[in-house]
Amino acid sequence: MQSQQQSQQPPHSHSQSPTIVGSSQPAPLAGPSTPGPTAVPATPAPLTLEQQHITAVEGIVPTLQNIVATVNLDCRLDLKTIALHARNAEYNPKRFAAVIMRIRDPKTTALIFASGKMVVTGAKSEDDSRLASRKYARIVQKLGFDAKFSEFKIQNIVGSCDVKFPIRLEGLAYSHGQFSSYEPELFPGLIYRMIKPKVVLLIFVSGKIVLTGAKVREEIYTAFNTIYTVLCEFRKP
Amino acid sequence: MASAYYEFYRGSSIGMALTDSLDELITSGAITPQLAMKVLQQFDKSLADTMVKMVKQKTTLKGHLHTYRLCDDVWTFIVKNPQFKMESNDIIGAPKIKIVACKNGDAIEAGKK
Repeated sequence: MQSQQQSQQPPHSHSQSPTIVGSSQPAPLAGPSTPGPTAVPATPAPLTLEQQHITAVEGIVPTLQNIVATVNLDCRLDLKTIALHARNAEYNPKRFAAVIMRIRDPKTTALIFASGKMVVTGAKSEDDSRLASRKYARIVQKLGFDAKFSEFKIQNIVGSCDVKFPIRLEGLAYSHGQFSSYEPELFPGLIYRMIKPKVVLLIFVSGKIVLTGAKVREEIYTAFNTIYTVLCEFRKP
Repeated sequence: MASAYYEFYRGSSIGMALTDSLDELITSGAITPQLAMKVLQQFDKSLADTMVKMVKQKTTLKGHLHTYRLCDDVWTFIVKNPQFKMESNDIIGAPKIKIVACKNGDAIEAGKK
């Protein structure tokens, strides 16, 4: 455990201390930045980084790419009825025991099981994930099922970013052996299993990073801030 | 054995014409309804076979996929503003079309195995 603490510095310990700007300056809410007559976006204009208390190292903030959530509709479902009457649904029980349904806004995919459990993937924000889940629940409801909206839970958040400098993966793998798995013959990225926060990072020579396994977005940001100092150490000359 | 062929070709113009003719023959007493059923079943089979074996013309289509569905091995697509590009390089458009795609007889047999 000791070596863990050595290599996994707390996020705010390095010299370039990240700035946390409080909500001292209230930014305008979804204002003139949203274009007028075109399709109404699923969520209001995104909050500024300051509003979300996001700490950016060197101005880099991971972008959320995918959110996976589960919902319990708390009602047995007849999947054939759903497949037959809902739009954009696929049901092939020989292949997979769930209806696969998609909506365009927020652009997401849902797996709907006969037990009433549902998995919603593809959303880019927590709000979109929740909104999409509600929309699917509503579609199921409209088909005549007594669907509730219970136990909504975000199971995984994936983010990515680019540190814009190349990285010596061998060096990183060697000195952080406890967390790293680097098998270039199998996969070109280094797999870094961070313990605190519990996030898995895929680190590529190019400086592109994928972070996954987080339950809340702060874990993505903390994990990135933590790894950023380490990456600077292994920057290719 | 129940007919293993889809009956949807009966809704095509050639199928409708056949159904009308058979109706007329039944009304005039020339054939029995049982015989008419037999003819229609043969029509289902013949058309399915013909579509597989004889129709070699191909077309590509582009458009906005408005709705899709897969249920009971039948795909349904509603495409808005499709553009069909024929082999002769003719382009044919339409405001909206519905495509119903089923497995052919061989594929159904294969699926049962």
